[in-house]
Amino acid sequence: MQAEIQINNSTTPAARYLTWAPSPCRVRITNPAGSPAVQLRVRLGTRTNTGGGSVAFAAQAGGPYASTLTVTVPVNGQSVSFFVRGVFGKPSFVDHDVIIEARARSAPSSGNWRLLGTLPVMVRIRKNANNLTAGERTRLVAAFAQLNDQGLGRFADFREMHVNQSSPEAHGRPAFLPWHRAYLLDLERELQAVDPSVALPYWRFDQPAPSLFTPDYLGASDALGNVQLSATNPLQFWRTDNVPGIVRRPFFDPAQAPAGLRTEAQTLALGAQYTGFRTLEGNPHGSAHTSFGGFISSIGTAARDPLFFLLHCNVDRLWAKWQLQNNRFDSGVAASYDTNNPGNKTGHNLVDTMWPWNGITTGDRPPFAPGGALASSACVSAPGPQPRVQDCFDYRGSVAAVAQMGFDYDDVG
Amino acid sequence: MAKERKKATRASRNTGGRKSVPVGRARAQRVIEVPLAAPDLLPALDILRDPGRSVDARLEALQTIQAASFALLDFDSVRPDYIAALRQAAEDQDPELRQRALGILAREHDGFAQEALLEGLRDPARALVGPDKALQLLSYDPHAGVYPIARDIIHTSEDESTRREALRVLAGDPASAAVIEDVLADKNEPSAIRRMSASALHALNPDKLQRWASSAVLDTAEDADLVATGLTALTQFGDAKAIADNKQLRKRMSQLQEQGPAKIKQLARRFVKKYDL
Repeated sequence: MQAEIQINNSTTPAARYLTWAPSPCRVRITNPAGSPAVQLRVRLGTRTNTGGGSVAFAAQAGGPYASTLTVTVPVNGQSVSFFVRGVFGKPSFVDHDVIIEARARSAPSSGNWRLLGTLPVMVRIRKNANNLTAGERTRLVAAFAQLNDQGLGRFADFREMHVNQSSPEAHGRPAFLPWHRAYLLDLERELQAVDPSVALPYWRFDQPAPSLFTPDYLGASDALGNVQLSATNPLQFWRTDNVPGIVRRPFFDPAQAPAGLRTEAQTLALGAQYTGFRTLEGNPHGSAHTSFGGFISSIGTAARDPLFFLLHCNVDRLWAKWQLQNNRFDSGVAASYDTNNPGNKTGHNLVDTMWPWNGITTGDRPPFAPGGALASSACVSAPGPQPRVQDCFDYRGSVAAVAQMGFDYDDVG
Repeated sequence: MAKERKKATRASRNTGGRKSVPVGRARAQRVIEVPLAAPDLLPALDILRDPGRSVDARLEALQTIQAASFALLDFDSVRPDYIAALRQAAEDQDPELRQRALGILAREHDGFAQEALLEGLRDPARALVGPDKALQLLSYDPHAGVYPIARDIIHTSEDESTRREALRVLAGDPASAAVIEDVLADKNEPSAIRRMSASALHALNPDKLQRWASSAVLDTAEDADLVATGLTALTQFGDAKAIADNKQLRKRMSQLQEQGPAKIKQLARRFVKKYDL
């Protein structure tokens, strides 16, 4: 007998990635040989590599979730649905470090459960960049380097998306947070096309991150502000705008956090209304950018530095924490967004599609739209190739499961 | 303006500002509010422009305005005043303030800053920052004017940092590929200079860099850092078929997996794993 397990209702290996949110799954008997019954009781459980991630199962998306789930599966090949999610606080560290197993009793009253099928999965979660393992760091920088590919790779599109001319699409107005959420997700999915085990980490700029600013990781700055990278770090070949290297000059001791920035607690205390919360765009967001000189400290050059994406990942994480704290996942709730701002230009209203993914280069949009549609995912369907502002709120599928965007944070449960 | 610049340069000599200024001054631990409306930036602009204020206060004002540029809907309304204040600060007596102002202007491709930086490279007596910093800032928008100067620096300067920045600038100039190749091949050059040459050549002619990388890995007398750079280039950007066909390289990789410094062994294992050798 054999069983097939499908994660995210798909057989493709690229779909075998989980977050804290429920993933729809299926199990079916693909070879009923040896089974006298028309249906089997199949127990779903896991075998986890040492230190690996952890998942839980449920018959319904809403739970209850447990480490095992027993379902009745017909032997005629018909699928049975179930749900899996990562156990909060127990993410994976390497690809496929959780093995999902399907077992059935060897005999009706037997205590032995015979293995019918296995499937390796990963609980792929955005983590604090300072705490990544050596392996996670190596995979992250290699994926960034590959995406950059001597300045000729797909990364060039991401660099071109965030320039002075496109700034009004992304800054100074309400869609600052939704736009950057889509931008990060697009980049993350491209990184995952290089290495599916990579999740974009966040630079928690209100805490020291001494591990991050080292030659083997995102680099240590010299007195001139040139980022020094070890000879083993593929980012040594980083190139943007036809110039190799990264310029980043910290105005703080890299073993400490930058001074003058709002802490996480202070940011989350900006109020339960989006209009108040989005003032984080100045401090800590703008202040984090300008805690350095170099690429990252000006809008037009910021995206030339890979650190930019880790900085914004933390801004997005702060929004996610604020959403959870205040239940602001529903864009239809007035306090979730700044819907009544008369100054909202196109691209900042909930129903507007966002540039550049919509490809619009006329009207008050920039005259160019690099990169095409937002990268798709084998795990989820949202936010779609041409996301609207309102598609970037319910990232964990709290309001509608179909809205899941396929990412989560290690400390937003 | 020239008179003022000479004055600034004299001041920089007095403050040790000829070379680049190391990591900036630490700021206070208090939360620094970033105004979210252009009129609220005017006090910070006044502070930035006022030579009578302390340098720390002016640096904080500069950082506040720059942070606001990331968030302000109507920042364009103060931009002309901001640019003017930056140009003034670029000639200030304080080297840190000069450097930061020039950095922001250079990232905006400001013609005033570019000309001042080029002028300082042509005539060091008029330099607002050291030549390494000037080259770094000019690399934000490298153009024909800087390439001959950078090529000359490669041959005449003895300062490693300045030569490294010259190589970085030349990475955008196809006419400089031969110069860069020569530096990379010269084992008498410092390791950091050769590694920068590798990055620059990778940008200009990736095939040549790959050929150099293969030869560096096979060269048992090559500097370990250069071998690591070559191995990283081959692993990250190598052509799988060419590598599979290179018996000598494959044999060398087998050796490197077992011998030499730990970082080389680790890289060799990564290489073998990637290409499934």
